[in-house]
Amino acid sequence: MLTRGTVIYIVQRVILIAFTVLVVSFGVFYAVHSLPGNAFISEKLHGESLQAVLHSYGLDRPIPVQYWDFLRNALHGDFGQSFVIQGQPITPLLVRELSVSMMLGGAALLITIGMGIPFGVVAAMRQNTAWDYSLTTFAVIGYSVPSFVIATLGILIFGLWLHDLTGGAFYYPISWTGTYGNLAELSVPAIALGLYTSGQVTRITRAAMLDVVQQDYVRTARAKGLKARIVTLRHVLRNALVPVTSILRPLIVSIIAGSVVIENLFGIPGLGKEFVRSITAHDYNITVAVFSVYAALIGVANLAVDLVYTVIDPRIRY
Amino acid sequence: MTRPVLEVKNLSTSFFTDDGEVKAVRDVSFELYPGETLGIVGESGCGKSVTAMSVLGLVQRPGKIINGQILFQDRDLIKVSSEEMRQIRGRDIAMIFQDPLSSLNPVLRVGFQIDEAMKAHDKVAREDIAARGVSLFQQVRVPDAPRRIKDYPHQFSGGMRQRAMIAMGLSNRPEILIADEPTTALDVTVQAQILELLRDLNQEMGTSIILITHNLGVIAGLCKRVVVMYAGEIVEEGPAEQIFEAPQHPYTWSLLRSLPRVDEKKHERLRSIEGLPPDLIAPPPGCEFNPRCPFRIEKCFTEDPELEVVAAGQQAACWVTMTKAYAEMGAATITDTRPGAASGVRPPADLLQVVADLRTLEEPAVLEKLAEDPDLLEKLAADPTALEQLAEEHPAVVETLTDE
Amino acid sequence: MATTVVTPTAPIEYAGGTLAREQVGLWRDGWRRLRRNKLALVSVFYLIFLVLVAIISFFWTPYKPNSFGACLTYATPSAAHPFGCDEYGRDSLSRLMVGTQVSLAVGVGTALIVVIVGVTLGLVSGYFRGWIDSVISLVINIFYGIPALLVALVLYLLLGPGLFTIMVAISVTIWMDMARLVRGQTLSIREREFIEAARASGARAGKMLFGHIFPNALGPIIVQGTFVIPIAILTEAFLAFLGLGLPPPQADWGGMASEGLPAIRFVPHITLFPSIALSVTLLAFNFFGDGLRDAFDPRQKR
Repeated sequence: MLTRGTVIYIVQRVILIAFTVLVVSFGVFYAVHSLPGNAFISEKLHGESLQAVLHSYGLDRPIPVQYWDFLRNALHGDFGQSFVIQGQPITPLLVRELSVSMMLGGAALLITIGMGIPFGVVAAMRQNTAWDYSLTTFAVIGYSVPSFVIATLGILIFGLWLHDLTGGAFYYPISWTGTYGNLAELSVPAIALGLYTSGQVTRITRAAMLDVVQQDYVRTARAKGLKARIVTLRHVLRNALVPVTSILRPLIVSIIAGSVVIENLFGIPGLGKEFVRSITAHDYNITVAVFSVYAALIGVANLAVDLVYTVIDPRIRY
Repeated sequence: MTRPVLEVKNLSTSFFTDDGEVKAVRDVSFELYPGETLGIVGESGCGKSVTAMSVLGLVQRPGKIINGQILFQDRDLIKVSSEEMRQIRGRDIAMIFQDPLSSLNPVLRVGFQIDEAMKAHDKVAREDIAARGVSLFQQVRVPDAPRRIKDYPHQFSGGMRQRAMIAMGLSNRPEILIADEPTTALDVTVQAQILELLRDLNQEMGTSIILITHNLGVIAGLCKRVVVMYAGEIVEEGPAEQIFEAPQHPYTWSLLRSLPRVDEKKHERLRSIEGLPPDLIAPPPGCEFNPRCPFRIEKCFTEDPELEVVAAGQQAACWVTMTKAYAEMGAATITDTRPGAASGVRPPADLLQVVADLRTLEEPAVLEKLAEDPDLLEKLAADPTALEQLAEEHPAVVETLTDE
Repeated sequence: MATTVVTPTAPIEYAGGTLAREQVGLWRDGWRRLRRNKLALVSVFYLIFLVLVAIISFFWTPYKPNSFGACLTYATPSAAHPFGCDEYGRDSLSRLMVGTQVSLAVGVGTALIVVIVGVTLGLVSGYFRGWIDSVISLVINIFYGIPALLVALVLYLLLGPGLFTIMVAISVTIWMDMARLVRGQTLSIREREFIEAARASGARAGKMLFGHIFPNALGPIIVQGTFVIPIAILTEAFLAFLGLGLPPPQADWGGMASEGLPAIRFVPHITLFPSIALSVTLLAFNFFGDGLRDAFDPRQKR
């Protein structure tokens, strides 16, 4: 499967990802450092003492010099220290937070695919029936109702109103309890995050199925006397997965963006929460680092989608 | 005579669309005999493909078989359960389609697609399937068969894809193979190869073939018997040679005339049949071919002719028939094939229909038509409804009309 | 020469059971289909109602939307305050009404910006092709790889709070779909005969683009434009929810929903009502957009 061409393609893409991360990190670095105000503005620090603090962090140098410094360290896996949380090295912090975010995002992706595709298939196969109408309406609700609204409702219903019934398993006291592996605790945020994307997948799957059903090769499959279930799954769905896979790229991006809101809402200590905190606290190094990680994550996810593509559609070769 | 393998009796299939019922196939009957190759000819949209799809039970919504019988192995295929029909499809009656590229699933290997046709039925033993796939590939003359069978459709040329389709169709040794325009999408040399292949397979395996095409040239080399369809109905039927020699329906005659011939002078333009096939939601009254027929008589506008024996084994549905047209209208020498040109019969003018037709024309063309036809002018001027309708599209024309 | 009788309808192709009848009177047909779509129709009425509320709220609200102590802090819904009050004792109904203005302004304003930018770039890219097309396509692809909400966040920080900032920040992240759509349309329309004819008669590029190609791509552009509105409203709500909306005390739905969050265990109505308003509005725009697409652009499946 892994041909020479594929390996070359992957290497090229990795270089492109590195380049994108470089551009994004510089852009964000430049942007946050040009913002008015910094992490050290307070009543106690001004004038020379402020200058002294800025100097100790190297913040009084020209921005390109600072960026070069940041980049050199980053290449060695060191994103520096937080300005705000004294002496906190950023790299281990990000690694921990990334693992939390990945778990949440992975669960959301699972919901997106595991719910979106079957719903789309059923809706298309039962076109213009009650099944179709309820599933498509559910999908529209999924991508219309903002994830924070779904999250809020989740907190209200499962955390508060049904508190006695669920034994507090879904109780989110506006801050994560720290049991990262707790499935029950993860479920509501993941559903809130994944409903939007699963709604989109349902819509695309349904449209693609209805499109493929019209194709000549589906008629051929029927003419061969294949069972209806085999025609649907092997011939219609296999081909419908091609457009579904291509929509996954923007959907993964939107899961990442949505996780920022969800993590803040549920107090989940992931990258998204760190991101917003770092922006509001002017903790620049972290902002730049998180943004770079996001850019790399999106690049890798897109590459993964493109590789899945070659498996689904043999006409595509790199 | 031997019993037919397939008997279609009074088949009617319609599509129920937003615009109305499209009567795609109407009262079609024919038989297919063992080992025979039957040709069904007609322009696109004449119902020949829908007939084939009806036989296989593949007519999809909004289409529906509304009447008739399809007798195969003592069963009526219209009445059998969907599971029974599924087992017949591909096993007893196989079909290959016009465009071999779009008819093969692009994401599955060709060999897999042939194998699954066998796996769907228990005719070929499981352990023989893989080997039979390769031998079928060799049988349809795909070079380097063991290797090519693992390729995807996009790695095949058009001709090779059609060979793969034929291999797939033959995989379960069906009694009947329906080939729907099997050569239309291919270039000429490949066309000839595929037709030769079909002929050989027909002779070697004794499979009965229904060959559906718009091209009489394709029929000529392959079929013993021909059915000609027009506007959802059979208009002529008989032995191929006889029909080529002496067609009795003006439509068949026109089709044959439109064929390019080797013995014709080079610069003579290819003749085509004037006009378009009728709207099948509201077909014209009488014979459906009357709006395009050079030999039409008054009766053709009011009464629909039935198939009648016109020669030994040959039937045609025509009030005139070509024998008469040759004898009385000089059909052998005419050059003008416009509707009614040979017989000189104009349609009884349904004024509103005429107006509807006029409305689709540009203004100068309307004026020209009116100038040519003083009768029509008179009638128009006397009918306020018709005038009003014409005015919606051509107010200037009507103004000049009323002024006069 | 006498013309042959022209049958009023085009021939119909039946092969495989598909029926393609020439579309006559596409627009009239479209309206007929849209009217048949109940959800879309209900949505249209709701959206008209919403616009009316927004207009009315400019002149009149039950209470001053930003005045503290219009009623008791955290007051639950009552006859005097049907939607209750927030943590500063401001009347929620009045604030919801004013919030309508923000959502609609952001939605429509962003859609306009997206249409202007997307249509221009798409037309140019599709019409001139060559290196211009390559550059624009590359930019489009780069933008697709960047998380929209995060870009909006950074842009928002750079530009400072404000309605226009929000609209620009959101536009920057969603103009690509429109540009790509218009580019595709342009590519196909420019190949049609009437464009060839116009070019042969010496029409200028500008006239070609806006006089001939643009009007022919209008249907899909309108459909795509209606889909921009809910996305913009949603993004604005997200920003506001994260505390990056319009500066206080301006009321907007996302901000109101987030303000009620700390007290959600005791007085969920503060968060619930703006959340519901937001959800219903987004649903209405999506149903309307879907209906519009199905009615006017049945071939375009997304």
